[in-house]
Amino acid sequence: MVVETELLPFLQWFPVAFTHWVLVLGTVVAVAVIGGYIVTAFRHGPKVGFGMTIGVVSSGVADLFRISPRRLFALTWLAMKESIRCRVVIVFGTFVVLLLFAGWFLDPASANPARLYISFVLTATTYLVLLLALFLSAFSIPNDIKNRVIYTIVTKPVRTSEIVLGRMFGFVAIGTLLLVIMGVVSYLFVTRGLAHTHLVAASDLRPVDSKPFKGGQKSLTGTSSRTNMHSHVVSVKPSGEGLLRRTKDHEHDLTSETLANKTTYKVGSPVGDLVARVPIYGKISFTNRAGRPVSEGVNIGDEWTYRSFIEGGTLASAIWTFEGIQPEMFPNGLTIEMNMGVFRTHKGDIESGVPGSIQIRNPKTGKRVEARIFAAKEFVTDIQFIPRKLKSGNPSEPELDLFDDLVADGKVEISLRCLAPAQYFGVSQSDLYLRARNASFVLNFAKGYLAIWLQMVLFVSFGVMFSTFLSGPVAMVATVGAMIAGLFHGFMVELARGVTYGGGPAESLYRLLTQDNMITEMQPGLRTTVIKMMDQVLESGLLVMSNLLPDVSWFANDDYVAYGFNIPGDWVLSRTFTAIGFFIAIFVAAHFFFKTREVAK
Amino acid sequence: MGEAGRGRLCGEEVAMWFTRLAITRQFMQSEVVIETRNLTKVYRDFWGRRKVMALKALDLEIRRGEIFGLLGPNGSGKTTTVKLLLGLLFPTSGQPLVFGRDAAEVTKNERIGYLPEESYLYRFLNAEETLDFYGRLFNMSRAVRRQRAADLIDTVGLGWAKRRQLKEYSKGMVRRIGLAQALINDPELIILDEPTTGLDPIGTREMKDLILRLRDEGKTVLMCSHLLADVQDVCDRIAILYQGELKELGRVDDLLKVQDVTEIRSNGLSLDAQKEIEDVIKRDGAELQYIGNPTTTLEELFLRIIRESEAHPGRRVRGNQESQGSQGS
Repeated sequence: MVVETELLPFLQWFPVAFTHWVLVLGTVVAVAVIGGYIVTAFRHGPKVGFGMTIGVVSSGVADLFRISPRRLFALTWLAMKESIRCRVVIVFGTFVVLLLFAGWFLDPASANPARLYISFVLTATTYLVLLLALFLSAFSIPNDIKNRVIYTIVTKPVRTSEIVLGRMFGFVAIGTLLLVIMGVVSYLFVTRGLAHTHLVAASDLRPVDSKPFKGGQKSLTGTSSRTNMHSHVVSVKPSGEGLLRRTKDHEHDLTSETLANKTTYKVGSPVGDLVARVPIYGKISFTNRAGRPVSEGVNIGDEWTYRSFIEGGTLASAIWTFEGIQPEMFPNGLTIEMNMGVFRTHKGDIESGVPGSIQIRNPKTGKRVEARIFAAKEFVTDIQFIPRKLKSGNPSEPELDLFDDLVADGKVEISLRCLAPAQYFGVSQSDLYLRARNASFVLNFAKGYLAIWLQMVLFVSFGVMFSTFLSGPVAMVATVGAMIAGLFHGFMVELARGVTYGGGPAESLYRLLTQDNMITEMQPGLRTTVIKMMDQVLESGLLVMSNLLPDVSWFANDDYVAYGFNIPGDWVLSRTFTAIGFFIAIFVAAHFFFKTREVAK
Repeated sequence: MGEAGRGRLCGEEVAMWFTRLAITRQFMQSEVVIETRNLTKVYRDFWGRRKVMALKALDLEIRRGEIFGLLGPNGSGKTTTVKLLLGLLFPTSGQPLVFGRDAAEVTKNERIGYLPEESYLYRFLNAEETLDFYGRLFNMSRAVRRQRAADLIDTVGLGWAKRRQLKEYSKGMVRRIGLAQALINDPELIILDEPTTGLDPIGTREMKDLILRLRDEGKTVLMCSHLLADVQDVCDRIAILYQGELKELGRVDDLLKVQDVTEIRSNGLSLDAQKEIEDVIKRDGAELQYIGNPTTTLEELFLRIIRESEAHPGRRVRGNQESQGSQGS
């Protein structure tokens, strides 16, 4: 799984984010008040305009704090009832139909069926729920205005804040209800879709060529039957217990029963495909081919610089420093999981993978041990287990204890090297981690749905806000536009800061039309000056927009669930608080938009 | 005390009661419920350019306990006035005041009931749900809501259809439930926009009776209508608007009175006595039933004002003086 940006601890993130929120909100409020005054002063004169602006602001602020729970509940209930009558059932029906036919198209032969199933349900749910949120929120108020039903609402002692919040709560409530149902159905779909078993017959097994166990029994091996487009290598211990070895990211337990000299084998449910690993990430650093520390590895020419490469057959290495490693967390030893890229400059030995080594080092004493030699596995997660007791190769100290000798104050270094000359390993900080434990998959799955819920809240908020001053279709387009801009938030920020190749929007357009190279500097002159000035204006606008719109992709976490990683609490908290921040700001904006518009024509 | 004494006492009590009622009514009517000061509304296009002036400097006062009619042809500004009073529109200049507060003030709505031109209601709700929903908007408790909803459904005669969704209702039924939602809060001021539209003759009669009953309960009613007979039947005072301007304002009976014509109505009068009517009536000892001015119909008054306004744009029509000539001719 790609983790390009480091997840900050919540307590570290929150003060910065909150300050930013207050600053942006304060600026927007100031601009809105000044803008409102300019407009009213232009229409009614400066004195009356001032009075009107103060009146709107004071009564608007008062409205925010005088919300009646009973009225709010009535309006929420109405929005829910309206939603149920309109589109919710259609969306749920579409979802069920999708699931019914999904089995035809989800390829059980894929390398990781669980990832496929989970990605599918999360993606389908996301699109359907967001589409529903979009339609409900963008059309509700405009429809009420169009049908004039709003006349009978606003002529009651209802505050605009209650109307806006009632809609938002109503649509969020109906979306929540739908998400809960879809989540349960999806979970059943995934677990039942992946559930399978294999047959293992005694005739399929043969003794392993090894020392016989007491009583003359030997370990057995063989192949299981083929189910769901795969089979497993079977290993049976002399005790009769066994395992169907890991294939397609899962394994099965095996038990045997012998009755009247006839042994039957019973295969359990798949294990390990629906997991929520809790990884412990370290800080990465590199050494070059001479073994000297460098800030990053080799660039092999890939534009995507997520991974840095280390050269094989040299002293180049990638070193992860882990902190807080305690024996209680890893009583039997360290479980290291790796995902790496391999860049080959020649074909090499095609029978086996590119070899590499894992070294464990005490950062304080410098004591080290070559713990593992392995063949790199690409495209799948490689799991390496480092036991507590390690052979050092040093005659004076032949055996080292992992925690007594190699971990100092909870710190340990794990370095990775490529052993094949002229071959490269590509790694990033999140590509090697220690797996302490597994969290609950069900809870992780629920967190996946929480992410969809947060996105839905954003969609509903924006939809309702735009609908307070735009017609239904225009509000829908505006919401979609805002969300698409939010999806490309990172690119928007880069554009606004002028760090993209080819310059700003105007310069890029000029280069596109004149087929100019992106890298070369533009010739100095009037044309370049004008283009640069235009870009400055556009970049300022983009900077403003990037501060007002949410980074929608930041809220997506389906990769975590699909790749089997536990979604950290820091992730949940930071996203939830961000969504709440946007919700509050958008609600206030929507309230003032609605308050300052005429609902009749 | 004998029968005669008791009767005299009762007569005195009734007289006192009527006096008190008159004083109360006079006091109540002196309280202004609606006031517009130089109220002007200009509709503008997207670019802020003036499209149409819907209302020109309207000054109006509506007092507590009266039924006030706003009359005018289509586009005269009567609905605009109502919308400005309800805060559905914002004035371009001037001030609409309801219960002494600005029309944009939300709290004033606690004392107002509004029946729009067509009953704009949520068609997916049934009658009970509709009234319960609007009751909640007035922050009513569950028990009060239920009681009010049951009473109003009974009043508007929809008990038999209270569980049916409004989309299944006829126009008249929707109108009735619309009236019920306007009365859910037992309002002091009821604003009715074309209240008899969509009602059959019986429904129209019931609506008019209800309006009169509301007035008798001390409520103020402002109604917009172009059904002149309805207005003539129920309104105490009327204002006639034309092209956004106030053309006439006053009591209905005053406005309809023809000042230069004397009408004498009697019975048992001999043919000889007809030439010197009053003397002859006295001398003849006949019963004089009525001497006064005949009234025109509101329809005639309305049409004359419209004709005058078209002939002399911008001039306030003086109904009584002008009417003398027209009636005399």
